[in-house]
Amino acid sequence: MLLQRSLIASVLAALIGVATAAAADDSKYPEWRGQWRRPPGVGIQWDPTKPLGPAQQAPLTPEYQKVFEASIADQRAGGQGGDPTFTCIPPGMPRAMTVVFPMDIIILPEATYIIIEYSNQVRRIYTDGRDWPKEAEPSFLGYSIGKWVDEDGDGKYDVLEVETRGMKGPRSFDASGLPVHTDNATVVKERIYLDKANRDLLIDNVTTIDNALTRPWTVTKKYVRDRNPIWFEYNCTENNRHVQIGKDNYYVSADGFLMPVRKDQAPPDLKYFKQGQN
Amino acid sequence: MRGLLGLAAVAAMLAMATVDANADDASKYPDLKGVWNRVGAPRWDQQDRTYKNAPLTPEYRAIYEANVKDQEAGGQGTDPTYTCLSPGMPRIMNVYEPMEIVVTPDTTHILIEHIHDSRRIHTDGRPWTDNVEPSFRGYTIGQWEDTDGDGRYDTLIAETRFLKGPRSYDSTGLPFHVDNKTVIREKIYLDKSNPDLLYDEITVIDNALTRPWTVTRKYQRERTRFPIWRESLCAENNTHVAIGKDDYMVSADGLLMPTRKDQQPPDLRYFNQARK
Repeated sequence: MLLQRSLIASVLAALIGVATAAAADDSKYPEWRGQWRRPPGVGIQWDPTKPLGPAQQAPLTPEYQKVFEASIADQRAGGQGGDPTFTCIPPGMPRAMTVVFPMDIIILPEATYIIIEYSNQVRRIYTDGRDWPKEAEPSFLGYSIGKWVDEDGDGKYDVLEVETRGMKGPRSFDASGLPVHTDNATVVKERIYLDKANRDLLIDNVTTIDNALTRPWTVTKKYVRDRNPIWFEYNCTENNRHVQIGKDNYYVSADGFLMPVRKDQAPPDLKYFKQGQN
Repeated sequence: MRGLLGLAAVAAMLAMATVDANADDASKYPDLKGVWNRVGAPRWDQQDRTYKNAPLTPEYRAIYEANVKDQEAGGQGTDPTYTCLSPGMPRIMNVYEPMEIVVTPDTTHILIEHIHDSRRIHTDGRPWTDNVEPSFRGYTIGQWEDTDGDGRYDTLIAETRFLKGPRSYDSTGLPFHVDNKTVIREKIYLDKSNPDLLYDEITVIDNALTRPWTVTRKYQRERTRFPIWRESLCAENNTHVAIGKDDYMVSADGLLMPTRKDQQPPDLRYFNQARK
């Protein structure tokens, strides 16, 4: 009798073990498929809870506050200020997580891919236990290592903690030209998780550590899910009328001629052209 | 005793079912992980370098020849990518930069750093619809097939429609029809004797052609434990400048320069300041 009970217990335990193993493999990661986009009414400023520009109240050092003010003045005069993306270079990190156009998230055990249509940015967040590389070419998106955390102890991961290093510039936090330091020693830390009450709301607490700032700066980005998405293609360079010649930027008019962007802006130097100038 | 045997039998059956479910999800797709590099140059037909045998209609043969002359004179001909416009399909599959393939049950993602070359192949059983905005990469629906009957998928059959232009097959400017009614069919599979060699048989149906045109692209896998994916940005330091219908370049010292002999400078009618 004891043997029978023992065998029954063993069989049941085996059944539970198999079931648990299956559940662990298939469902230990959260379900983040679908198309994620900025919530309606949320703009592209870095801190979505405050307006674009000085109202962001970014904790800039005095030096970089001046850089920011100069950017705003230049933009008011028709220039691009400290926003480098008008030539279609990507925004890089952390600005990529403003998600100007929708993103797709694919979770595999070894990496989480974040594919953002704006500037065709593909972030890879490596979760395979790798160390930071000794040498990695700096990039606009940087190099990201993450780890999954089961915060509520229910046997499923619910938070992805990420650190990103190895960025290059020029970058800015948003279109106002809110600057990051030219040393590009930025470190970005993120906590990404679903809202517990709304499984179609994804939250990214983004902390930026940068030498243009007086302290780490944390903002919360939110994204809403569309479970039946239509993916559209955004090509920055298609019909991009901004032209950069050396350090100057110009514009191409609707009728296809070069035009100034600032009052009394001089035309480009044409010394390399042999033919009579216009 | 009978009860115990029965319980054991049930346990065994459930265990098999559970393993099969895992196997079905995890291993029914081929292993396409790793870094895939193109084999050979990023030319559409690597055998016919001058495209004298490309099945172009007489009209598009003339367009191609004019494009060749323009490129020989310093222009870009009918290759539109010098301003970092996406190469689109099928040119994306020249794989200018290393490619990663991420397979999920509803989508196979092809990720390539170059310009805007990443694509989605939808394998979720969706039907074709007319409500699709044309794009350079097009809209692709695919299905996995188990061609050898071993219980695992080995071939991805894909069709791409709804393309926009301008596009060319490669940097020679070999053109597509301006009507952009191109349809592309692909058969993607691993070499049976070398699982690190991937084939993409690509058939183009286009009104610039006299018949469907098939080429086979090959990609070699690099199995690196921790691959480094290099960011490749066309728009960074791109010295090509398009002003209206004319293209120029920016010299190393930051000044506008011609790309053709005796090219006129741009019309500066909108500038008030004295010209240099």
